[in-house]
Amino acid sequence: MTDDSNRTTDEETATSRRNLFAGALGTAVVAGAMLGAGKAEARVDSSKSKLQEVLSRGVLRVGTGSTNPPWHFEDDSGKLVGMDIDMARLIAKSLFDDETKVEFVIQGSDARIPSLITDKVDVICQWMTVTAGRAQQVDFTVPYYREGVGVLVMADNSKYKKFDDLLKAGNGITVGAMQNVFIEDWIHKGLPEAKVDQFESPDATLQALNAGRVDAYLGDQSAIRWLMNQFPGRYADSGYGWLPNSYASAVRPGDPIWLNWVNTVYKEAMMGVDFDTMKASYKKWFGIDLPTPKVGFPTEFQ
Amino acid sequence: MSYNFNFSVIWRQFDVILEALALGLVLAAISLVVGTLIGLVCGYAFRTNSRVLKGLVWTYVEFIRNVPLLLLIFFCYFGLPAIGIRVFDKYESFVITLSVYAGAYLTEVFRAGLTSVPERYVEAARAIGLKPWQTQLYVVLPLTFRIVLPSLSNNFISLFKDTSLAAAIAIPELTFTARQINANTFRVMEAWLTASLLYLAVCYLIAIVLRRVEKRYSVIK
Repeated sequence: MTDDSNRTTDEETATSRRNLFAGALGTAVVAGAMLGAGKAEARVDSSKSKLQEVLSRGVLRVGTGSTNPPWHFEDDSGKLVGMDIDMARLIAKSLFDDETKVEFVIQGSDARIPSLITDKVDVICQWMTVTAGRAQQVDFTVPYYREGVGVLVMADNSKYKKFDDLLKAGNGITVGAMQNVFIEDWIHKGLPEAKVDQFESPDATLQALNAGRVDAYLGDQSAIRWLMNQFPGRYADSGYGWLPNSYASAVRPGDPIWLNWVNTVYKEAMMGVDFDTMKASYKKWFGIDLPTPKVGFPTEFQ
Repeated sequence: MSYNFNFSVIWRQFDVILEALALGLVLAAISLVVGTLIGLVCGYAFRTNSRVLKGLVWTYVEFIRNVPLLLLIFFCYFGLPAIGIRVFDKYESFVITLSVYAGAYLTEVFRAGLTSVPERYVEAARAIGLKPWQTQLYVVLPLTFRIVLPSLSNNFISLFKDTSLAAAIAIPELTFTARQINANTFRVMEAWLTASLLYLAVCYLIAIVLRRVEKRYSVIK
């Protein structure tokens, strides 16, 4: 492996001279991101980073979806909006000082890793749960939201109103959920005996709840809050939540410069100069009021 | 492409994958049998003189053949409960849909099959004193089946592939299981590759077996 990468680096040095400016800029950025294996050749070639590629392309390609409010969905005017979309726009704004310079590549959840690996997109902003298995294939950024699951039932359902009713029903109930990592284990952590039906998308799952195909809908707390807002009086929260999991963006593995740069953007949106953007997004999509980060010692390192 | 294949997640769950494959075959087989019955009845209905009957069958065949199967599945699974019909579980819903779907195609097959039984056989049957129902049961039907056998086996293969759509309504067949592995491990390439190869291998095997059966029973040797 080492031999291979050295050879590539040599070839790349020859071609990268045409962009001396980019190289110089990149070198400045990369100063701290060397993969130093003791050899100078092993240093990351900054001009080859995705960061330079995106800057010279002038537009950011983001992999996301279009069917999952409040994360990524089309509003009434058909515009793509949501928390993930806000994160993508934040990256674009930080790159080009223009949040419209984003090309959204709409894809299903199972395309998130392949589209990175085949280099169809620069970054994934698609409610991606961080897991160790996925981290073997892509590089995750710092998380921008911590999700948990909850259970939604029909408001007019007289049999199952509260979480305890569902729990008592044992294997007499079917819980619908979107196919996702660990989903069956997750449901069984809260409702150990419940039967599980898994669907391809949240809307199919919700339709199954509407049609009475499932008795309850296991979803993210963010989605449950959103649904109850959208259809007042139709659904009810059974009132119990469990299982934290982190949502982060992901980038193609092996590019520490790009990863570090996106991380910097995210961190400063959560803790630093771009906090107002983040605060507005949280309020808009989750109804959560973020407290202003404490001035003084950076609290994230306390 | 910088991708490291890792098939261990596939082998670890291979029993589940094979079960899923078997489920798909069973669903297809049941639908083929029910569909054949529907096809036969409608095929005969087409040969009557009743305009109403013909019109009904024609509407059914054209409607089913011109609506995507996935929508039919959704209609049966999501739509029927919405209008108050809540008797079928997800498996029944799917088998009913696929049978009705297969029935429409097989109606055409049997119509053609019944038509291509040479008139002289029917006349010969009548000449030796067979009653009309005996003529159908002992002469026309066996011949029809031998004539339509290639179409039946093609239909079975295509029905088996159609069972992949059952994944949309949470039926754990092969496509569902592959997607499940994707979701759990994100070994997307490995999961779809395995599913594709299994579909290919099984369909090809079915084809080989059925071609031999066809050869043995075909009318024209």
